[in-house]
Amino acid sequence: MAKLAKRRTLRVQDAVSGLVLVLPAFLLYFLFVLYPTIEAGWIGFHRWDGFSKDMKWIGLNNYKFVFQDDVFWLAMRNSLKYSIVVTIAKNVLGILLAVLINRKIRLQAFFRTTIFIPVTLAFVVVGVLWSWIYNPNFGLLNSLLRELNLEVLIRGWLSDPKLALYSIMAVDIWRWTGYHVILLLAGLQAIPKDLYEAAEIDGAGPISQFIKITIPLLVPIFFVSIILSFTGGFVSNYDFVYTMTGGGPNHSTEVALTWIVNTAFNYGAVGKANAMSLILFVLLAVVSLPSFLIRFRSQREG
Amino acid sequence: MLFNSSTKMARSLSNLGTYIILILVSVTTVYPVIWMVSGSLKSESEFYTNIWGVPKAFAFQNFVNAWIRGGIGQNFINSIIVTLGTVIIVSLLSALAAYALAKIDFIGRGVLFFLFMISLMIPHGILAVPTFGVIVKLGLVNTRLSLILVYAGQSIAFSVFLLQSYFLSIPKEIEEAALIDGCTRIGALFRVILPISGPGLATVIIFTGLRCWNEFFMASILVRTKAIRTLPLGLVNFVQQYSTDYPQLFAALTILTLPMILLFLVGQKQFISGLTAGSVKE
Repeated sequence: MAKLAKRRTLRVQDAVSGLVLVLPAFLLYFLFVLYPTIEAGWIGFHRWDGFSKDMKWIGLNNYKFVFQDDVFWLAMRNSLKYSIVVTIAKNVLGILLAVLINRKIRLQAFFRTTIFIPVTLAFVVVGVLWSWIYNPNFGLLNSLLRELNLEVLIRGWLSDPKLALYSIMAVDIWRWTGYHVILLLAGLQAIPKDLYEAAEIDGAGPISQFIKITIPLLVPIFFVSIILSFTGGFVSNYDFVYTMTGGGPNHSTEVALTWIVNTAFNYGAVGKANAMSLILFVLLAVVSLPSFLIRFRSQREG
Repeated sequence: MLFNSSTKMARSLSNLGTYIILILVSVTTVYPVIWMVSGSLKSESEFYTNIWGVPKAFAFQNFVNAWIRGGIGQNFINSIIVTLGTVIIVSLLSALAAYALAKIDFIGRGVLFFLFMISLMIPHGILAVPTFGVIVKLGLVNTRLSLILVYAGQSIAFSVFLLQSYFLSIPKEIEEAALIDGCTRIGALFRVILPISGPGLATVIIFTGLRCWNEFFMASILVRTKAIRTLPLGLVNFVQQYSTDYPQLFAALTILTLPMILLFLVGQKQFISGLTAGSVKE
């Protein structure tokens, strides 16, 4: 009886303590993410340069301007291409390398570390290193091709409008694949070993084991990995593009974020830039919300 | 017998293939960093005559010059303060919130969790102008505290997400015993849950640490004077100012890079098991 009463008071306390415990984190989050997001949405209905007191309500005009802005839609198409290529590459490479590292091999910890190292680098470092690698005259890539007698393949990696966006994607893939390897490796290591042993007794080879056991059990973590790389391809490639090409040559590497920042800070059209951001946000939400909801529901039940 | 030895051979061949692939990938991920560190130890003349090789003599003077003359020392201290401050705030507050969201049944829990998850879809670049507005209203323009608060606000949702997954993987029974013995919720969190959450916390610390240490865009908007510049800001300035003195620039880049590689080396084991916990459990 006493125990039951205790449980009941705990439940009443819980209603309060739950809120109290979440509050400090939520306050910080609200102040520096949610509130600015709402404000950004509000600014999207105004003409504003971001600094002056002169902020004029113009209704949906900014959205009209955005729909007429060809560069923005070019940038969105580039972002979509960027996101798809990068998502496929990071996850395919990620699972292949994770499976290799997860085999019974020596130096497992060593490979795990070396593959993650690019993730720890700052974008200034990545930018400087890769502009040396891509440098058309004395860069590592072209020097290497020259050494191998493959002069035909020598290119202006960042100056050729057909290639530049792919060159940047390569850097993004180089930088982040290690993160997906670690994520998927952690998932692999959580799969119970006896499942494989049972399959082996039943005569299943390594490939059918991979398809029938590994892949299905990795689905939840693949979900996370794909969503992170896909949304990341849209919302966090500003630094790469900015340092390597700045969106050029001739907008060939313009992505949503570079054009938004450009519109806000160089053209002083903060309202229009915010309208663009909102469009981007809504599109991403539509794509990724269903998967969030599935994950959310399974967690509540679990 | 014959069959046995041929499978053995196939296995050692595929092992060889594994090593070759992993070594090739490791070369591409590590060589640029080694090249940067070795470049930082070359003299200016050697840098151009021996671009891709290891240095013949170690010119540590480059580090001294970058640290003192280039002002990297002051930037380093600022980065340490900002990163430590953020990491402490984020780990503490996200642990409290994640615990409540994972273990306590209260009204509003679903809505709060959902609101935290939205942050993964928000392009943080667009928050720059309104966030600057918030900092102005708080009267914190051009302070280290403004960086700490903004970074904490921007990293906390992801940390809550990670830790909540981790806490969910801890069986209910473990803390229930403590609660029935009269332990408060906070007591249960600090005495029972956190001591076994090393991997979850390591993951949060590494992610938050990396993010603050390397962040440039927000800092370039919030910081107005030289005295409170963080390392990435100092370095971008350095690139513009000393772009001809490559060894010294590389020394500065090395100073920026090594602490985070060290942080990962120290925490990697915990980090990897921390990443799994929630995501696979479902």
